[in-house]
Amino acid sequence: MLNRLYRWLDLRYGIGEIAEKELTGYLLPRNINEWYSLGSVLLVIFAIQVVTGMLLMIYYVPDADKAFKSVSFIMNEVPFGWFIRLCHAVGSNMMVAVLLMHMLSTLMMGSYKAPRELNWVTGFTLFALVQGISLTGYLAPWSQLSFWATTVATNSVSAIPVLGPTLVEFLRGGKLVGPATLGRFFALHAAVLPVVIAAFIGAHLFFLKRTGISAPPFGRDETANPFEAREYHYQGHPGGIPFFPNYALQDLSSISIYFAVFLAVVFFWPNMPFTPDAFVPADPFKTPAHIKPEWYFLANYQTLKIFPSELLGLSVQAAAMTFLALLPFIDRSPERHPLKRPLFLTLAIAGILLWIALSVWGHLS
Amino acid sequence: MENEGRRKFLGVCVAGCTVAAAAAAGYPVLRYLAPRSGQGGAAKLVIPAGELKEGDAKFFEFAGSSAVLIKTSSGQLVALSAVCTHLGCIVQWVKEKQQFLCPCHGGQFSTDGTVLGGPPPRPLAKIPFTVTEGNITIG
Ligand code: FES
Repeated sequence: MLNRLYRWLDLRYGIGEIAEKELTGYLLPRNINEWYSLGSVLLVIFAIQVVTGMLLMIYYVPDADKAFKSVSFIMNEVPFGWFIRLCHAVGSNMMVAVLLMHMLSTLMMGSYKAPRELNWVTGFTLFALVQGISLTGYLAPWSQLSFWATTVATNSVSAIPVLGPTLVEFLRGGKLVGPATLGRFFALHAAVLPVVIAAFIGAHLFFLKRTGISAPPFGRDETANPFEAREYHYQGHPGGIPFFPNYALQDLSSISIYFAVFLAVVFFWPNMPFTPDAFVPADPFKTPAHIKPEWYFLANYQTLKIFPSELLGLSVQAAAMTFLALLPFIDRSPERHPLKRPLFLTLAIAGILLWIALSVWGHLS
Repeated sequence: MENEGRRKFLGVCVAGCTVAAAAAAGYPVLRYLAPRSGQGGAAKLVIPAGELKEGDAKFFEFAGSSAVLIKTSSGQLVALSAVCTHLGCIVQWVKEKQQFLCPCHGGQFSTDGTVLGGPPPRPLAKIPFTVTEGNITIG
């Protein structure tokens, strides 16, 4: 049956040729490692977020008067509503975590270097967009937590000289966070950002297909990047392992491990994405004590607290982000092995330690 | 070859796991999407008889669907389903003519639900009711 369908399609559209080119004939470097499968894991996570998001939209009402109630309804009355919602909430946290790991491996293995600058830039943009979609989605349940986290987050924009206050008001759709904010954040979260993210994922994959996958710099004598900007060149890996079935199985096992961790959190640590303020409806007249952002924003939050002026704190963050985004244009040496790049390694480790320290500090303070 | 058999066995295992995982994910989703039970609305309804004047009709929700109670000019009470038997529109009460008109395709029903004209194939369904001490209990 399946065979006949395959033959029917193959006779008309030559899918056998595509399968040969993209699956079995698509060779990857022999020394490719597990870290390269995180991209597939991220694709799966994105798909789960889209599907659970669509499902949540069936019962969720994006109206300040009804949002909290509708979320409680999903959690308490709809069969498996808690499951769908937790998958969405936990999934967003996991997406950021896996994204950070994906970026870390790219940094360590130097895959961001020429000719893959645009892979890095689109990927970095995706990172920013994912933060944006997390932030806008955070407001949706209209709880004390969402309300005040959004108040604080949007407020930091006011530090921008001259334009700041107007910008905040524009962002919020009013002087304060209110029903108008929910409307625009919901539109961003459920309509605008998913489409933009999907487009960037497309671009990211397109660049990946065009340049070919980079070989890990380990376990070979020659780790330097052979790129020379004379003409376009696809990096193939003759004598490598085929994507299907060899690396597809690696992808599959990484995805399975991801699911194990993800479902363990969903089932055994269901309050992971929430603090007690998440269970109280938003009250614009009462700020709860110790309002804190999500873990991945803790470092930013702490930076803002350290610097005496908000503008300074914001500029430092903007500078750090810009530096990271433009890294492939700054770090131009072809060497890709991390141990042969002492300056890079020192800076990277220092940066990571700083980020962790700031996050822990932000969490404790 | 032995290798071939091993490959096949592992392939079947992977496929089996995938199917099991899909089923495990599909069941909650299906339940999540299924209509909520117990939302059919009240199966019994009490309407004070004084609410209805002669020749008037009162529309209400009954058992999750639309129903109508009329008091004919001769003072007779009738309770009917208001769902047209043709394609499911809600019939209108035309007071002057003392009959029901379906706005969708022009079906006409008399006060007791019989088809007077138009496409509806069956009369409107009757709903049982009792009258006690000025209260009309539907259902
Ligand atoms: S639905 Fe009533 S006449 Fe067609």
